[in-house]
Amino acid sequence: MFKIVPKLQLLSKYEAVNFTKYELVRFRKRKPIHLGTAKSKLFRIPERPNQPEEERMELLRIFNNYRTTMKSLRNFFIVNHSSEFVEASEDPEESRRLFEEDFKRCSAINDQWNKNQKERREKFFAKQHEEEVTFALNRIELEKKKAQELQEAIEEIVRKEKEECKTIITPDMLDKAIEYALANPVDYNFALESNGEKIIGRNTKPSSNQEDKIVAKQ
Amino acid sequence: MNKLRGVARCGLPFPPPTKIIRFQRQGCTNRPFYHIIVADVKSDIHFPPIEQLGTHDPIANENNEKLTSLNYERIRYWLSQGATTSRPVQELLGLAGFFPIHPRSYMTAWRNRKLAEETSKIETTGTNEQEKE
Repeated sequence: MFKIVPKLQLLSKYEAVNFTKYELVRFRKRKPIHLGTAKSKLFRIPERPNQPEEERMELLRIFNNYRTTMKSLRNFFIVNHSSEFVEASEDPEESRRLFEEDFKRCSAINDQWNKNQKERREKFFAKQHEEEVTFALNRIELEKKKAQELQEAIEEIVRKEKEECKTIITPDMLDKAIEYALANPVDYNFALESNGEKIIGRNTKPSSNQEDKIVAKQ
Repeated sequence: MNKLRGVARCGLPFPPPTKIIRFQRQGCTNRPFYHIIVADVKSDIHFPPIEQLGTHDPIANENNEKLTSLNYERIRYWLSQGATTSRPVQELLGLAGFFPIHPRSYMTAWRNRKLAEETSKIETTGTNEQEKE
């Protein structure tokens, strides 16, 4: 430690050393708080509010008065309210009777409240149950309807497929189909005119003969 | 019980407060409105209160009135149970005449008076100077 600040070596052992003045080793990045604000940054410190001495003394006086008054007021409230109970409990038998009477009255009111509340609760739960049941039934119907629609759609697809199946050539019908094809040769060498006329043949030219023209099916 | 109270807290006059009468803000943004409630001292500001003792509207209405309602009977009851009051409530009860007037009310009053005097002085001198010109 003394090697870092050699000036300290000169101090006699009887001299008091204010170590807070010196920053012997800066072991953290922050400037230590005891070094205070820099001279050039003193403007950052806001000015203390200037309270006149008169005002301070006046406030002190009225605050003292207020506290004293409030203390006595609190005592007054506490004692005053508890005195009611003290009066009621002078005779233990009498106070017991009063307490039981009061308890009966209060419990009757409480029972009435509980009864009303029970009615309301039962009504509420019955209504809730009914709503839940109707909701569930509605859901079941909806699901059934959905399933039926799906079934119908599937059946429609199957029906269409079945209709198309009739024209498919199966191995049984193969010979018949060949015979039919050989018996009815189809010439696909034709052209269509814009007005729908079909001109048969590969090299024929359009003629005025109506017999050669065949009206194409629209 | 009252005699023993001093013994339990080394001569301090009152038992440690567990209940407090204070404001609870109920309005929305930019529109404060307060319930005067009694609550546990350490309870959160958003916790439901033990009991509501009144209301306070800090914004003046069209007739320039700040409306406040107080249930004196229940306030008296809770004070008898050893409940303390917060400073704003003390000020309000002081203005209502239930408590002595709070010193802060006096202080704000005399400071406002002083400020008003100063501003009026400045205004009068300013107008005089303009008239002279």
